[in-house]
Amino acid sequence: MAFKNQGSAAPRALVVEDINVDRVILSTMLGKFNCETTIAQNGKEAVDLFLEGKTFDIVLSDKDMPVMTGPEAVAKIRAMGATEVKIVGVSADLGGMEAFMSAGADEFIPKPMTLGDLEPMLQEVISKKNMSG
Amino acid sequence: MATSPMDQLNALVSNMFATGLLDEQFHQLKNLQDPSTPDFVSEVIALFCDDGVQIIDELAKLLEQPTVDFDMVDSFVHQLKGSSASVGALKVKNTCIQFREFCKQKSRDGCIMTLDSARTEFYDVRSKFQTMLQTGASGPGLLP
Repeated sequence: MAFKNQGSAAPRALVVEDINVDRVILSTMLGKFNCETTIAQNGKEAVDLFLEGKTFDIVLSDKDMPVMTGPEAVAKIRAMGATEVKIVGVSADLGGMEAFMSAGADEFIPKPMTLGDLEPMLQEVISKKNMSG
Repeated sequence: MATSPMDQLNALVSNMFATGLLDEQFHQLKNLQDPSTPDFVSEVIALFCDDGVQIIDELAKLLEQPTVDFDMVDSFVHQLKGSSASVGALKVKNTCIQFREFCKQKSRDGCIMTLDSARTEFYDVRSKFQTMLQTGASGPGLLP
């Protein structure tokens, strides 16, 4: 299964996830697209990365996490002015979509996520990155 | 005639599907493994098993307390539910769903009863996962 975007700048992904297994799975999926992946174990760690000036092309965030939830983090990230980054909420919670979209996420994927769910979003990010040069 | 490690592995996985221990998500996991990530399935399964043991131990301790912190219990059950869903451990996941209901009801008895079920289901799938890893280690890897 080959998805590598050869010859293109690597998309920078932020995974916000407290569950170890899910972090590894999501990181591996992103690796199929040659992403440079950074990990945050809760919403506060994600917000802190943005406060440090880090930038990402895509953020994939779980909903229910200790310290700060995904929707809370999304709202803070958008309030900081990070409007260009694609933010995807990921949750097994049926109420997750509303919470994430209200907070300012662009998309929502129910858990467990598949590569087929992720691929169109990554392709969009890669295309946008290639166009901006 | 002795069965090959691959035949043993296939029979074990088939049995786990047939008995409802695993669901389609396990196939999704296997499909993520390729030559660039040859140990992916083994690593994820090992992580699930190690984390699950710790979570179940924590849940037992929390439910022994004179006053049960149901929010904390729910948080740990949420983690076990999430990781079991991600590896395809269907029975564990379904038991966790029930468990969370008892957490919402703040029912100590319900939680204790469901923890027993979760423990049984988890150790059953863990045992079979460990056999899978050992069988895979003695033959071809867990490749699709």
